[in-house]
Amino acid sequence: MRSKLTSKLALAVAGLGLLASAAPVWAHHAFAAEFDSTKPIKLHGTVTKMEWINPHAWIHIDVKNPDGTVTSWMVEGGSPNTLLRNGFTKASLPPGTEIVVDGYQSKDESNKMNGRDITFPDGRKLFVGSAGQGSPEKSEK
Amino acid sequence: MKPAWVLVTFALAAAGAVNGQPDLEGIWSNATITPLERPADLAGKQTFTAEEAAAYEKKVVDRNNADRRGANGDADVATAYNNFWYDRGTKAVGTRRTSLIVDPADGRIPPLTPEAQKRVQETRAWMQEHATDGPEGRSLGERCLLWATAGPPMLPGPYNNNFQIIQTRGRVVILNEMIHETRIIPLDGSPHLASNIRQWMGDSRGHWDGNTLVVDTTNFSGQYSFRGADRNLHLTERFTRVSPDALLYEFTVDDPTAFTKPWTAQIAVTRTKGPIFEYACHEGNYALTDILAGARAADKKALK
Repeated sequence: MRSKLTSKLALAVAGLGLLASAAPVWAHHAFAAEFDSTKPIKLHGTVTKMEWINPHAWIHIDVKNPDGTVTSWMVEGGSPNTLLRNGFTKASLPPGTEIVVDGYQSKDESNKMNGRDITFPDGRKLFVGSAGQGSPEKSEK
Repeated sequence: MKPAWVLVTFALAAAGAVNGQPDLEGIWSNATITPLERPADLAGKQTFTAEEAAAYEKKVVDRNNADRRGANGDADVATAYNNFWYDRGTKAVGTRRTSLIVDPADGRIPPLTPEAQKRVQETRAWMQEHATDGPEGRSLGERCLLWATAGPPMLPGPYNNNFQIIQTRGRVVILNEMIHETRIIPLDGSPHLASNIRQWMGDSRGHWDGNTLVVDTTNFSGQYSFRGADRNLHLTERFTRVSPDALLYEFTVDDPTAFTKPWTAQIAVTRTKGPIFEYACHEGNYALTDILAGARAADKKALK
């Protein structure tokens, strides 16, 4: 059973991370705790659905294997609120869209990875500018 | 000479007025690239010239560009995902100060007291030791309970740098997009909660000092530690409408058991387009489960 002290210590951490926050980028949680930096992985797949969950959206893709079978993967992204603010909607990444995901596999070796770099097959980034896939222009700030 | 009330009326008319109070209502953004603390390489430099500010903005925007891949696997995975998920500021504050902290003059958070240093070190050590024991070992932010920049006090972060102010006759409401927190702040002169009632976000009470809304927050539980603060934190926030589309937001951190002296920051806040979307922060039972499952997989490997 946890002592009162440890419970208190466990809670007292929300602002502490900021003490050492010189890092240029900052996701909602530590991706290094979830994904294995020694397991880079690059997949070409077809979107089956996108879960618009805060603080991290998840894109589901099906990847065809050389033997013809299909493996499903889940790809972790960032906050959907940012996409909404920039004019993107649930219709912006419809099922059937082909994407290339370059990232790292989860440490529990399930079929999950982070979308470190997600592009369309021709190299364009998702959710950028007005080109293709129903992506509207970035709204004025 | 005009009596004081005439001048006050002019000031209220100029800013618009809500229930006879200066109008702070709207949706506001505090996004900026100006850091809270002055970076070490800018020590002694309080303000930029216009050219220096432009160069610094370019440098920071480039440094923050998450589309650039990390130098190695660790750095790369830590960058998480593409830049389109981020919504950071791109401009330095209008004063061209090199830090949001205006007092002390060095632009840095004053040193923690020895007892606060000890507490912070103990917390860090506990975190490292128990980081993957269970969800309790993860930060309040990861657990979607509180967010370190959502406040009080409110600071810019990597995305969702937006808040909405709504004024009623006896209260002011501040809704922060991050992490969907709302403060309902009495303006009726009522006292703070009894000192034995402690809250993660403290107890906020407001009053007007001329055209400035002053929000005074005490009764922190200390379980949410802002930059090492403890339950004795006395936070004073000041909101002043300085133009139709800008607020000056200032806060002073006074916590004599945690910091060796008080410190104050100023942030220019600008009107932004709404609406504020519900953040509804929840990891969807994916990320936290993955972190803990990854640790259990590592435990099993270590036993083989």
